[in-house]
Amino acid sequence: MSLPNQPGRPATSKGSLLRLGFHDASRSAENLTRLGDAAEPLVALLARTADPDAALDALVCLHEACAEIDPQEAQALLAAVVDDEGTAMRLLSVLGASLALGEHLCRHPRQWRELTDPTLGSTRPAAYAVREELLRAVGADPWAEVPVASLADAEAMDALRVEYRRVLVRLAARDLAHAVGVDDVAAELSDLAGGTLEAALAIARQRVGPDHAAVRLAVIAMGKCGGHELNYVSDVDVIFVHAPADDATDDGSDDALVLRTATKLASQLILICSDHTTEGTIWPVDAALRPEGKAGPLTRTVTSHQGYYERWAKSWEFQALLKARPVAGDLTLGEEFCAMVAPLVWSAADRDGFVSETQAMRRRVIDHIPAKEAARQLKLGEGGLRDVEFAVQLLQLVHGRYDEAIRSPTTLSALATLTRGGYVGRDDGEALHDAYSFLRQLEHRIQLHQLRRTHLVPDDDEAMRRLGRSLGFTKEPGAALDKVWQHHRREVRRLHEKLFYRPLLSAVARIQSDEVRLSSAAAADRLAALGYADPQAALRNLEALTSGVSRSASLQKALLPAMLAWFAEGPDPDGGLFGFRRISEAMGRTPWYLRTLRDEGEVARRLATLLSTSRYATSLLEREPEGVRILGEDLAPLEPTAMLEEMRSSAARHTGDDRLAKQVKAIRAVRRRELFRVSSGDVLGVTDVADVGAALSRITDATLQATLAVAEEAVLDQRKLGVAPTRMAVIAMGRYGGFELSYGSDADVMFVHRPQEGADPQRATQYATAVANEMRKALAAPGTDPALELDADLRPEGRQGALVRTLDSYAAYYAKWSHVWEAQALLRADAVVGDEELRRDFTALIDPLRYPVDGLRDDDVMEVRRIKARVDHERMPKGADPHLHLKLGRGGLADIEWTVQLLQMRHAGQVEGLRTPRTLTALAAARDAELIDVEDALTLETAWRAVSRMRNAVTLARGKAGDQLPRETRERAAVATILGYPQGSTDAMVNDHLRATRLARAVVDRIFW
Amino acid sequence: MGKQEEFVLRALEERDVRFVRLWFTDVLGFLKSVAVAPAELEGAFDGGIGFDGSAIGGFGRVYEADMLAKPDPSTFQILPWRSQGPSTARMFCDIVMPDGSPSYADPRYVLKRTLGKAAEAGFTFYTHPEIEFYLFKNVPEAGAEPVPVDRSGYFDHTPQSMGADFRREAITMLESMGISVEFSHHEAGPGQQEIDLRYADALSTADNIMTFRTVIREVALNQGIWASFMPKPFTTHPGSGMHTHVSLFDGDQNAFYEAGAEYQLSQTGRRFIAGVLKHAPEISIVTNQWVNSYKRMMFGGEAPSYVCWGHNNRSAMVRVPMYKPLKGQSTRVELRTLDPACNPYLAFAAVLAAGLKGIEEGYELPREAEDDVWTLTERERKSLGIDPLPRNLNEAIAIAESSELLAETLGENVFEFLLRNKRAEWDEYRGQVSAFERDQMLPVI
Repeated sequence: MSLPNQPGRPATSKGSLLRLGFHDASRSAENLTRLGDAAEPLVALLARTADPDAALDALVCLHEACAEIDPQEAQALLAAVVDDEGTAMRLLSVLGASLALGEHLCRHPRQWRELTDPTLGSTRPAAYAVREELLRAVGADPWAEVPVASLADAEAMDALRVEYRRVLVRLAARDLAHAVGVDDVAAELSDLAGGTLEAALAIARQRVGPDHAAVRLAVIAMGKCGGHELNYVSDVDVIFVHAPADDATDDGSDDALVLRTATKLASQLILICSDHTTEGTIWPVDAALRPEGKAGPLTRTVTSHQGYYERWAKSWEFQALLKARPVAGDLTLGEEFCAMVAPLVWSAADRDGFVSETQAMRRRVIDHIPAKEAARQLKLGEGGLRDVEFAVQLLQLVHGRYDEAIRSPTTLSALATLTRGGYVGRDDGEALHDAYSFLRQLEHRIQLHQLRRTHLVPDDDEAMRRLGRSLGFTKEPGAALDKVWQHHRREVRRLHEKLFYRPLLSAVARIQSDEVRLSSAAAADRLAALGYADPQAALRNLEALTSGVSRSASLQKALLPAMLAWFAEGPDPDGGLFGFRRISEAMGRTPWYLRTLRDEGEVARRLATLLSTSRYATSLLEREPEGVRILGEDLAPLEPTAMLEEMRSSAARHTGDDRLAKQVKAIRAVRRRELFRVSSGDVLGVTDVADVGAALSRITDATLQATLAVAEEAVLDQRKLGVAPTRMAVIAMGRYGGFELSYGSDADVMFVHRPQEGADPQRATQYATAVANEMRKALAAPGTDPALELDADLRPEGRQGALVRTLDSYAAYYAKWSHVWEAQALLRADAVVGDEELRRDFTALIDPLRYPVDGLRDDDVMEVRRIKARVDHERMPKGADPHLHLKLGRGGLADIEWTVQLLQMRHAGQVEGLRTPRTLTALAAARDAELIDVEDALTLETAWRAVSRMRNAVTLARGKAGDQLPRETRERAAVATILGYPQGSTDAMVNDHLRATRLARAVVDRIFW
Repeated sequence: MGKQEEFVLRALEERDVRFVRLWFTDVLGFLKSVAVAPAELEGAFDGGIGFDGSAIGGFGRVYEADMLAKPDPSTFQILPWRSQGPSTARMFCDIVMPDGSPSYADPRYVLKRTLGKAAEAGFTFYTHPEIEFYLFKNVPEAGAEPVPVDRSGYFDHTPQSMGADFRREAITMLESMGISVEFSHHEAGPGQQEIDLRYADALSTADNIMTFRTVIREVALNQGIWASFMPKPFTTHPGSGMHTHVSLFDGDQNAFYEAGAEYQLSQTGRRFIAGVLKHAPEISIVTNQWVNSYKRMMFGGEAPSYVCWGHNNRSAMVRVPMYKPLKGQSTRVELRTLDPACNPYLAFAAVLAAGLKGIEEGYELPREAEDDVWTLTERERKSLGIDPLPRNLNEAIAIAESSELLAETLGENVFEFLLRNKRAEWDEYRGQVSAFERDQMLPVI
């Protein structure tokens, strides 16, 4: 038996206090004795509060404060809490949950009687009543058309604060003791804020004096207050609108006076709410959502607002306007403002790039939170309140134009109507509703404690215990709270991304369900809003991917919402979805495919980006869908030795007759995979552009090296030879030699060999020619892999000359016939593949030719210029725009490279740094040797990089090589995306290109010509 | 489709509009117009009306001719000069590429881009042009001396004058198209008129100037006379300028105004002027784009030849008008180089860019020119640091060619087209044997 007042073991003993949940038993016991007889019956009630120790502390304090003004009052207090359980519940729960309100009651002890009001549990105070009470408190007549405070200023300031808290105490009691829904609490807080702004305005009018009458000022609540969903403590977002009191005059000087007065009123109103007096502060009023933000004028006329919103406003400003609501001041004027903005808001979603702008804005918000706080953030951050609010607002903007039912400014109501309308899946909607309500309630309780504006969940145990208890977790309240919080956060994060996309699937699903389905038309609308050019085709692709009841169909249903979102971020969402369908079909039931995509979000994201951006990467992937795996790996280019080793060993697995074709196929498969790796890294922005050219050249090195080896073996076999009669090497030329290969380019090469001692020179040459031919044939053979064309046209005598020459033959030729253009071509020669000694000797042979000790003769310089002039004219393809030809155009690659090469030929004999096949290295050396200005060198380098990047991007986007900027709209947009331009700015890209090349051309004109 | 578009479509019904003229401006400032039936307008709002850009001066690089004209519904107006029966309306268009990205060749976008740059710095740009033009009795004939409609002078009131009737009708028509006129009077030359438009943001003003030039010519034709905006039609009479008052606003505040400063001119204002002065020679090719433009600027009077500024100095290129107490919002500076044959979009963009550059880089404003710079000797001007403006189109081209400010403001396409076109104009002009030469030489040599 354990009756509460069992003699000998009173409920107020330390042991039972600890059991009941008090922390500091001795202090509480002492406190209880001060309450006398009331202690015993109150212990159990106190124990039910969020923080029994604090509640008891506050009660004792309140009791003493009452006693000070009147002993009878103290008695009445105790009598009321002991006799009336309702009063006790209301008072004690407030004292247990809010330190700040406890202190307020102690300062204004008579206000405890507010909580004896039994109607608190049942009746929501009307907004107009709250407004009246607050206005009366500052001595203003609530029935006056323009209420003005009559109390002395300092007195009015304090009175406003005391009255505000009085209403707040009543509200907190309703919240804590009567389990009023979180949305109602938020709405009542908004009403309280509205009334407070009105009373503050009444004080402001008094401060400004009689001038105030010249102005009509309306306070428009935005944000949470506007949406009727305010927190206990947060900035109250407002916009001010003013008008002259009588519209009759339209004189300029009058306008200025009106503006001055309105600005004074508004700024005073802000101060009145936020200033600290002996009664503390209320909350900051934030007018930063106004046009032009903090830089703009504090208040504008309706017309001035309209001018701004029609011309300058950004998407997020329209999103903010969803919640605009007149709350104080001249409500007629406020309504006029709202009527003006409403149509603008509902057409905002038609603006180009609206969705992407808004999504980008959300990403910025996430990025802004300091990392150390992100984990405890309730509001911002992934899975925060802001996520829900943004998602709901975005959906409202997209669909609200045609469906007025979903235009509610309040998040939870809007979510409910969106769900009812089928715009959000029912389960998703409910889960999101629960999560949002929970998060908001948690936020309320956190803020209520000290009435501080915070969105951080505390991480000390005591605070978590108090919060947990206030939310009804009795066992291990801190841990339980944390668990539930994390659950809701995960839910929000999970749902938020899919909210947009999941209903699209229901539109194509054939399965019966009692859920309201998004209509095809609405689904098409939404797809179109997301940037899909052909929503009908997209719906068909979706249907194909999700039809049936197989496991892969259900995995796809889980995966697609996210994929659709990522496709939509690329320049070609339709192509992305279609590519994904083709790859998914090719992969069929391959077990790891969908699992990898589902489990490793990063792989899926990368895949989606590639498919919707790059046709080049997509086609590599379509040839071998298994490549999806690579996306889970580090995309940095493979080490050259490792790549060569892999090519060699995979070639070695093939033996027997006719093995060369199979071996080269194996080598090319490795090459294709590496091309995919490099291009993926390029598109995804993982691999630096500067490294792309080098990586592509290295892949070619390895491919040629491995192919040379197997081709030699094959020719030896064919000719039944034991030992090769000659040693061979391949000389890289052109862009390949310069380590500057781009995706689509052929590899320029020359073949050289040196017969072994004693071998028959003729047979050696036949052998070498056969090897070179086998290499070219095998690498160019059609197949599933991209072919590698070897172009040997730069060899002596060009196409008329022998494909393969001995080193001596090269020496003889160059000694006798060499032209200056051949020396120029040799600048880019790099002996990279084959016999090492032969490569060295070849280099020694050509160095004196390409780096003449005395530079060039005037005749040669003239000849180089003449050839360039002719090339410019003749090689330009018919119909090409000379300004947009990347290779031969004005200030294009040829211009820059010829300029650098001329400097090399003239000075490399003296300046060692110039002896390099690479353009940028040579350019840097020329700059260091002061052969070219620092500024000019920078101009050339910038242009060369930009044009090279663009050339790569063209191939990546189109899937085939090209030297001109594509004219086709979507291809051009894809190039722009790969180069990092935002949507809808292709002509900005063209403009930048023209500028870079114009500046480069000016330098070329000075240095080359 | 937004509310504005819907408003336009409704208006088409209600006002019985049979044709809608879609207007845009080529690089040289000539108005282009394509008429569509109301039924096609909905499509035009969505995707624009396709046209062959290569046929428009300065628009297309030859091989990418496809462009779209997208009407701006906020510029919808009924054309008042077709008052009988069903009416015709007009809208200005933005030019876009097939992927919807704005075209860099569109002069309107050149101005929008520069205004956007100003907006990033928190500024809006307002302009107020005073447009001068001549009225002639007849349609121009090659070789014939044009005859002005009257012989009056500055502010003259001429009874039963053609000019006054003309101004009244023109102004009525302008007002009916929503273009407010502030002021109008007879100018100094015979038959020369001036009409001042009310100040407005630069984009609206540029649209208004395009409309203005059309309205004036329409009204003249209706009255059987001829109006021309040629900068200098007579050797002996003053040319037609387009003095333009400009100001920057920071929100609702005039950024040029600072109480108590000299001429109540803020530092921002001083730097803006410094920028305009410093870059005036290089943007001359835009503010004064014709061979003929430079003939207006060599005789003194209201047309400047030198880079300088002054307070109520009528010979200065930039004039800071007298400050009116309690009118802080109206602080502005007057630019006297512009002529009414310019492309207003490009000219405003160039002036704004030059001024912004001055603000960004914190240029120092040079000394004020207090004397009439025309009366100074060459040496005096040099010692005062007063440089001449380009004396002819050829000099202007040479200076413009190396201007990064101009290239950046106009965009590569417009910049290059303009230079190419102006070089051709100069070359053609250079080859002409004029009446002047014959009159001078034939009698004596």
